[in-house]
Amino acid sequence: MKKLDAFLLILLIIFSFFALFPIYWTVITALKVNSEIFTIPPVFFPTKITFSNFYTPGTTFGEVSQTAFGSFPWLINSTIIALASSLIGTFVIGAPAAYALTRYLKNVWFARLILFMMMIPEAAFIIPFYVIITKLNMINTWWGLILVYISFTAPLSTWLLMGFFSDIPKSVEEAASIDGLSAFSTFYKIALPMVIPGIMVSIILNFINAWNEFIYALVLTYTPFPTGAQTVPLYLTDFIVIEKSFAWGGLAAAGVIVMLPSIILGIYAQKYLVKGWTMGAVKE
Amino acid sequence: MNRNQVIKIGLVFAAPLIIYFLIFFIYPIYLLFKYSFTSASGAFSFINFENMIRDPILYDSLINTLYYFIGSVAVQFSAGFIAAVILNSYTGRLKNAFRSILYIPLTISPIVIALMWLIIFNPTYGPVDYMLDMNLNWLGSMNLAMPTIILANAWEYIPFVFLIIYAGLQSVPKQYYEAASIDGMSRFQTFRYITLPSIRPIMIIAFLLNSIGILQGFTLVYVLTNGGPGFSTYILSFYIYKVAFTYFNLNYASALSLLFLVIIGIYVYAILKLSSVEKYLGIKK
Repeated sequence: MKKLDAFLLILLIIFSFFALFPIYWTVITALKVNSEIFTIPPVFFPTKITFSNFYTPGTTFGEVSQTAFGSFPWLINSTIIALASSLIGTFVIGAPAAYALTRYLKNVWFARLILFMMMIPEAAFIIPFYVIITKLNMINTWWGLILVYISFTAPLSTWLLMGFFSDIPKSVEEAASIDGLSAFSTFYKIALPMVIPGIMVSIILNFINAWNEFIYALVLTYTPFPTGAQTVPLYLTDFIVIEKSFAWGGLAAAGVIVMLPSIILGIYAQKYLVKGWTMGAVKE
Repeated sequence: MNRNQVIKIGLVFAAPLIIYFLIFFIYPIYLLFKYSFTSASGAFSFINFENMIRDPILYDSLINTLYYFIGSVAVQFSAGFIAAVILNSYTGRLKNAFRSILYIPLTISPIVIALMWLIIFNPTYGPVDYMLDMNLNWLGSMNLAMPTIILANAWEYIPFVFLIIYAGLQSVPKQYYEAASIDGMSRFQTFRYITLPSIRPIMIIAFLLNSIGILQGFTLVYVLTNGGPGFSTYILSFYIYKVAFTYFNLNYASALSLLFLVIIGIYVYAILKLSSVEKYLGIKK
């Protein structure tokens, strides 16, 4: 047993190395001085640490420049759009729909519909969404992206929460209805508070997905805050195109800023993830 | 409550979803049909579908998509499965720490992953070529570009398969293993006859969700290779984007989008029919 564990430990360390090395490399590149970035052989353990890739006095705010500081206006857009689409998808659409599907409309076709909505490839919808958002006069606006992002936040919320709602014993709600609560009060006062873990996961996962979303933002936005709604992945794209061969430090620093929130939120939510994805088919 | 009342209340709760669905799913599909059957002059026509048949780039894209899909599924599913089995058999104290570490890549944005890969796989200053003691132009070579994309993509999604299967392994009741050891089953026999059958439903769910995620791929191709070199990393999603927003041929791009939807529809339908995944998910009794 001891021997096997030692062997497995080595394998796990190898796996962990592969999982962590790209992150490690990005972080140290962000902290390196330029002379240690562009060298042969590459420097694995930097001797000098600098924060100038994040911010140097005199860098322009709101432009793709040599440091990551310029990303701020894109970060504002990302935060607002990700928050709004996540909250609307969870509270306005997902939670009531999931409740309806587990308690009232127990129909195979409704559940299939949700599955179908989750599986639609984004690329197949860029044209109709572009046309609709243009018609609504919302190109390059917060609302344009929020409305489109709900197309993945709402089905995911519904899907996740169906698993959580079906775990609530029916007797709880029956007691509530005997006490004279209406169906809507029962939902808001009894059922919803019982699935708060599910609500949290739904908000976090939706936030991460919206924060990381790329193709819709690419097609539907073209300038940063305050004139437009471009999100931070597009800042990185511009950075990659413009600074590909010069400002790796700034590029990596921007990458660190973008990945940090999603890693922190992701670790916080991981406890409930699997249960959510598999609609409660796996309980941990 | 009678049945009608139940359905009425249910529909009120589901109303926001239904309204959204009509405007942002049904109407878009209608638009796709409308544009697909419109020629450049605006008349009803089958020209876009006729053009598909004679479009060599479409053939390239379809073959590349198949290559990308099969490669990704194979790498992600097997690596995720192996990692889950290893962690499940490990009895040390660091179990939960490893679970968190192996999960982290999943939370990172594809665009950041593209950036990481540009730096790490750089032929001159990157650590990978240095460690392998080679000088390979990963993204600039016809033969290596697609495997590199598959690898970068796998780095992000192996944790997805890993997490689900690991949770499945953890949920196998302990009594099964106790019974197996009383019966004198070997380690391998236990795995083959107890573990595998117990987690079959979960493996199918993981496979379905994972393969759908893979078909969503676009960002890595857009940033890392922009379809090249040549057309070697053109996948269908990228080709649709190109036709629509570089060549501004919305009608032909709509026809391609429909084709994409039909392919995915057939794939998902086949999986649902061939496996009992709907039953496992609790959709069907």
